[in-house]
Amino acid sequence: MKIHHNTPLKVGFVKLTDAAPYIVAKELGIYEKFGLQVELLAQNSWSTLRDKLEMGLLDAAQMLAPMPLANQVGMSGNRKDIIIPMITSQNGNGVTLSKRLCEEIKLANDLTKIPFPMPAKLLKKTLERRIKDKHPKLKIACVFPFSCHYLQLIDYLHVAKIDIDEIECVFMPPTSMAISLESGDIDGFCAGGPYNAKSVRNDTGVTVLTSYDIWQDRAEKVLAITQCEYDKTPEVFQHLCAALIEACQWLKEVPNRFEAARIMSRDQYLDTKIDIVAPSLLGSCLTEEGQSPRHLPHYNRFSSIFSAADDGPYAVNRPTFDQAEWLYGKLQHVWPHAFENKIAEQVMKQCFRPDIFAKAITTHKKHINK
Amino acid sequence: MNILLIDDNQNRAQAIQQALKGSQYSITHLVSAGSSLLREVDIAKPDMIVIDIESPDRDILESLHTLNQINPKPIVMFTETQDSQIIKRSIKSGVSAYVTGDADPNRVRAILDAAVARFEEFQDLKSELKSTQNQLGARKTIEKAKRMLIEKQGLDEDAAYKAMRKMAMDSGQKLEQVATNIMNMLKNLP
Repeated sequence: MKIHHNTPLKVGFVKLTDAAPYIVAKELGIYEKFGLQVELLAQNSWSTLRDKLEMGLLDAAQMLAPMPLANQVGMSGNRKDIIIPMITSQNGNGVTLSKRLCEEIKLANDLTKIPFPMPAKLLKKTLERRIKDKHPKLKIACVFPFSCHYLQLIDYLHVAKIDIDEIECVFMPPTSMAISLESGDIDGFCAGGPYNAKSVRNDTGVTVLTSYDIWQDRAEKVLAITQCEYDKTPEVFQHLCAALIEACQWLKEVPNRFEAARIMSRDQYLDTKIDIVAPSLLGSCLTEEGQSPRHLPHYNRFSSIFSAADDGPYAVNRPTFDQAEWLYGKLQHVWPHAFENKIAEQVMKQCFRPDIFAKAITTHKKHINK
Repeated sequence: MNILLIDDNQNRAQAIQQALKGSQYSITHLVSAGSSLLREVDIAKPDMIVIDIESPDRDILESLHTLNQINPKPIVMFTETQDSQIIKRSIKSGVSAYVTGDADPNRVRAILDAAVARFEEFQDLKSELKSTQNQLGARKTIEKAKRMLIEKQGLDEDAAYKAMRKMAMDSGQKLEQVATNIMNMLKNLP
């Protein structure tokens, strides 16, 4: 069967571990199985990925979950019509600190070893000490303002009553982070895989906690499309979602995860050694060179490992109102004037689309039962 | 006018610099730079930033803009896209302009001139919008103060307005300021 569309469908992604569903769907022929011809296009920045989606240079793209909400309230991009027909991953970020900062934390807290996940209060003591010693603010890098990374960092610091302004938060692409950490331009970063594992393997950083230690099973990356393009060919996008659902379900099995890591480590994808790509996919969080990794089965979550009784195997990927509300609340905390209460419900309903997802499930079931 | 050019394509960057010799634009060139871009923006305080649309550093600029850490600057982007419709659509965004093709050096100056003009127009529009919003805000404040005078002091509408206008003229303050003062004062009365 072939779905009629302008071939090939152009799908943008960023070279990150949680691009796995998009990549394995291509390499395993899942898109074809659902009647689609897809061209995957790697993007170097979230802003350009968003602009290309708005301009129609991309038909669909992997996106940071808070970005479409920011788009709908007019904070990011121009057209306010980016929507989320499905969630493609949960969790997956980590906070990695420089070795020098880790020594400082140990000293300030009279510790010989940092416990993982590192409690934020250890950072509080370190900050107090820096003020006393008249040292400059700590510089922590994040990938983008409208990202779970930034919101998670704020929440993490908040636990120890640290305001985000007590550190200097800078934004840069994850590709620049490892180098900046090594050169001492930054003291730490919050990013997705494979960048945490990369710094640990290079022995330039220590991954002290993951986003799963801050938020559990919240939307991280989503499939983003525009309402305008969806309206033209809804069937095409429903099939695209169905193919990605299939890819997410394939990624459920741990043995498949290793195969995914092999595929993703190739030049045209992450272009990174398999011993850096594989761990998080296998539920292992590298912490520090020479130390045992942490066992974290949900580190990269694409589909439910244990299907919940009520929502079955589709729970992780469903763009529910609950997931929207969580993110909207966090965004509102940072930008109260843009993410107002009175527009909240309308924006969330326009953006998170369980209605489209339900149609994709029907398509998915039809195909796998054939 | 100081321009920061971020482009990994050395040849293109050189051609652009060559084309702008002797113009009002002076260029600092950087390759995609990560954290050194932040330093450069801080030190050079460029009036305009020209960046390759494919540069990973676009997110750095966009973030600075979102967090109001840089003054609005026109950002011109080079793209290989040839579709003029698509480019026209994106230009509407005001802050950024897309330049087609590999940026013919002979056209660069004209493109930058156009970008600056378009940017200033957009800024005018934004400040006009802001002043309209301010005016609306002032009218609301005056209305509120008037209502308080009617309710709390038993004046009729005309008398309330005249009283405020007289106070404004006597004190040399704006009507909005007088209205704010009245509201603050009456708020504390039973």
